[in-house]
Amino acid sequence: MTEGAVARAPARFERPGMGGFIAWVCMLALVIASLRGVGFSPGRFVEGLPAMAAFAANLFPPSTERLAPILAALAETFMMAVAGTAIGATLSLPLAVLAVRRFSPHASVALAVRGLISLFRTVPDLVWALFFVVTVGLGPFAGTLALVVDTIGFCGRFFAEAMEEADRGPQEALAALGAGRSAIVVSAVLPAAVPTMIGTTLFSLEKATRSSVVLGLVGAGGIGMELEVAMSFFNYPEAATIILAIFALVLAVEQASQALRLRIIA
Amino acid sequence: MTAVVLDGAATRPAAASTAGPAEIAADGLVKRFGRTAVLDGVSLSVRRGERVALIGANGAGKSTLLRCLVRLVEPDEGHTLLLGEPVGRLGRRALTRLRRRVGFVFQRHNLVPRQSVLTNVVHGALGRAGLLAVHQAVAPAALRAEAVACLDRVGLAALARQRADTLSGGQSQRVAIARALMQRPEVMLADEPVASLDPAAGEEVMALFATLTRQAGVTLLFTTHTMTHAIAYADRVVGLRGGRIVLDAPAHPGLAPVLERFFE
Ligand SMILES: Nc1ncnc2c1ncn2[C@@H]1O[C@H](COP(=O)(O)OP(=O)(O)OP(=O)(O)O)[C@@H](O)[C@H]1O
Ligand SMILES: [Mg+2]
Repeated sequence: MTEGAVARAPARFERPGMGGFIAWVCMLALVIASLRGVGFSPGRFVEGLPAMAAFAANLFPPSTERLAPILAALAETFMMAVAGTAIGATLSLPLAVLAVRRFSPHASVALAVRGLISLFRTVPDLVWALFFVVTVGLGPFAGTLALVVDTIGFCGRFFAEAMEEADRGPQEALAALGAGRSAIVVSAVLPAAVPTMIGTTLFSLEKATRSSVVLGLVGAGGIGMELEVAMSFFNYPEAATIILAIFALVLAVEQASQALRLRIIA
Repeated sequence: MTAVVLDGAATRPAAASTAGPAEIAADGLVKRFGRTAVLDGVSLSVRRGERVALIGANGAGKSTLLRCLVRLVEPDEGHTLLLGEPVGRLGRRALTRLRRRVGFVFQRHNLVPRQSVLTNVVHGALGRAGLLAVHQAVAPAALRAEAVACLDRVGLAALARQRADTLSGGQSQRVAIARALMQRPEVMLADEPVASLDPAAGEEVMALFATLTRQAGVTLLFTTHTMTHAIAYADRVVGLRGGRIVLDAPAHPGLAPVLERFFE
């Protein structure tokens, strides 16, 4: 090897620029300020450990007194998740097509639909639940509507991505033989995107199951309402039963959806 | 054997066996990618029923030229008359309508995977039947029957229900040909239709393709790197180099040495 080649080899480490250094300092400052701002204190956490133990002890043994209504609420939660995901995923399909610039009738349509999907995704589901409780009243219907919106925010985005990533070769072949835009979408794009879209929908169902538990806390139906009541009456054994029921449901949905996904991808 | 000109001005096409009107007439096509002009003033005329082989080294612009003819790639300059239509001036709908009459077989078959062979062939009718041709299950009986007949012509009727992504390369390319036939095209463009196949399958599929297009009376413009195919299946051989047409000669066994030299 010649001296020249050694000299031309790049340095092992890049010298950090001034800008990069300042950025790191700022980020560190932000983290420190945040920890102080929230009163983060390991000492207080340790002090709280006995209270935590007392609460945990109070949870046992879980009560089986109101098992029937709890299971009914659990079923309602699951039905909210299923209905919300089904409607949300169905509505996501046309929206996702419109969100892809190549398939959209106009660039402005694509932009508007993308904006709507982002809005649905960025506003938290609890806020949507509050909004729909005001609109349609307390109960599972409000919660389901919130899940629909949440699902569109999630599925709309990932359906659109799946369609953008579909192999262009078959699409070009159909364009070359004189197929219209919608025919190309239905014949070549959707078949390529379907496995991903089903996977996304199953993920969305898992997400909706977890969300629908929380939605009950604002009166939007489901088992969250039961939990809220049990906790505010200090009925910890019943709360324990409810928490175990939620745990079982979420776990079951996750397992089932994972098994289904593995089958579909094959 | 006098019409051969290398590195000179493009010659007029040699008289073809069938003297119909020009169905493909490109005039002064220019296509640039960045600074380099891949096509630098290409003029080419193909008559009805004629079969023309387009040859040239890798990167000579053969694929680009075929794509420009139907505006899968937009040329920067030049005009094309395709089946009498001014391709460059057509609106979106008119262009789609024109493309229905022009088959295009790609080097990579470009079938829709995860769909059946039959559905892929039915797709050939998307232009005229629209959404009725998106899937074999929704296609009218007449379309399905026609698709099966097209599959039969490429010898694959038995595989109608098989998924397209489970086919061998040769089978895939046959299905792509069946899809193109389903279009009932008047002109067929083929970009190295058998380049992805092994030599034996390549010979077989190329012979089949040539026979079927001839039976259908289709005007054929195909690119190839196989000189024997150019000589055996074309009436005329056109060579592309440096973005221009530098060879235009009737296909004839005596042309072989000239074609071999073309790539030196
Ligand atoms: N979309 C594109 N963007 C940029 N450059 C391109 C594009 N398409 C083609 N080219 C360039 O244009 C040139 C001609 O490509 P083209 O595919 O037409 O050649 P070809 O004659 O078909 O070659 P081959 O025999 O390898 O198929 C190449 O240098 C290629 O890199
Ligand atoms: Mg090519």
